[in-house]
Amino acid sequence: VILDRLHVETAQVERGTGWAIKPEGACRDERCVPLPAAATADGQVDVRVIAQQLGMPLVHDASSGLWALGPEASTRSLSSARAPDLVLPDMLGQLFDLATLRGTKVLLLAWASW
Amino acid sequence: VALDLGGIEAAGQWIARAEPRHPALIDAAHRLDELFGIVNVPSGVWIDERGTIVRPPETAYPRRSEVFERPIRPSDPPDVAARIREVHKIRIEPEKYMHALRDWAVNGARSRYALAPDDVIARSAPRGLEAATAAAHFELGQHLFRGGATDAAAIQFRAAHRLQPANWTYKRQAWSLADPGQRPTSLYDGDWLSDVQRVGAENYYPPLQMD
Repeated sequence: VILDRLHVETAQVERGTGWAIKPEGACRDERCVPLPAAATADGQVDVRVIAQQLGMPLVHDASSGLWALGPEASTRSLSSARAPDLVLPDMLGQLFDLATLRGTKVLLLAWASW
Repeated sequence: VALDLGGIEAAGQWIARAEPRHPALIDAAHRLDELFGIVNVPSGVWIDERGTIVRPPETAYPRRSEVFERPIRPSDPPDVAARIREVHKIRIEPEKYMHALRDWAVNGARSRYALAPDDVIARSAPRGLEAATAAAHFELGQHLFRGGATDAAAIQFRAAHRLQPANWTYKRQAWSLADPGQRPTSLYDGDWLSDVQRVGAENYYPPLQMD
């Protein structure tokens, strides 16, 4: 998640991380992580607190003033066997939603031109 | 899915030539790397009819492509010859992979190759703090590169390489932006040939765990 400041709209963090910011804390699926009261105010969230509480690295580029909030550090890349939401364009720019292939087996093959 | 920061311009010509009958998508932001823990290509993920991953990313060669069979020619420059020598040592297991894939296609959940959810998670790539931090640096590097800040991007890419040296996707994508042949450049400490020689070409892809 690319950020140009450390206090951002709650919705931006939610879209970027998949975690919902609720009164009880940051929640995803059945898991909620409590957040200190100072983490959120006026519809904004302090990304440094989110990063610390959820174990997400926060890195910075001084030349641009940008930050990147990384994924949660855990033991494994996959925390669930449920296929993540994925919408990507084809070579004509048409978006394709992986979920439209429900009902069929899918081999998702990653390749590259490099 | 093409993992290509170059987007349609980089991947489109290959897709057009392949004339695929299946969806062929382009992931210009390397989202699959983070979502699935992909660290090299080609990698395959099996997803069943209900949207459950039954095999996490693993090396997925459908066949032994020409690049693995190309002989060294007298006219090859030394660096090309050295590269081909390493390519010849790379272990790929297309027969084993395709056998398992066909078995799953026919037998579904009854296939011995379809894993339970706990095994899928356990076999996915490790992502401790260093790998997660590498992901953040790589995302920032991509963003800076797209904005034309190539030197600042290289700083971020180098950090990602240092933190997760086994992630060939991060390395090869960045190297290719500096030199399409992924040869040594002043921007990066490593390059394809040197790094492969360092780890041993036979370790470039982990062995398939199909037993």
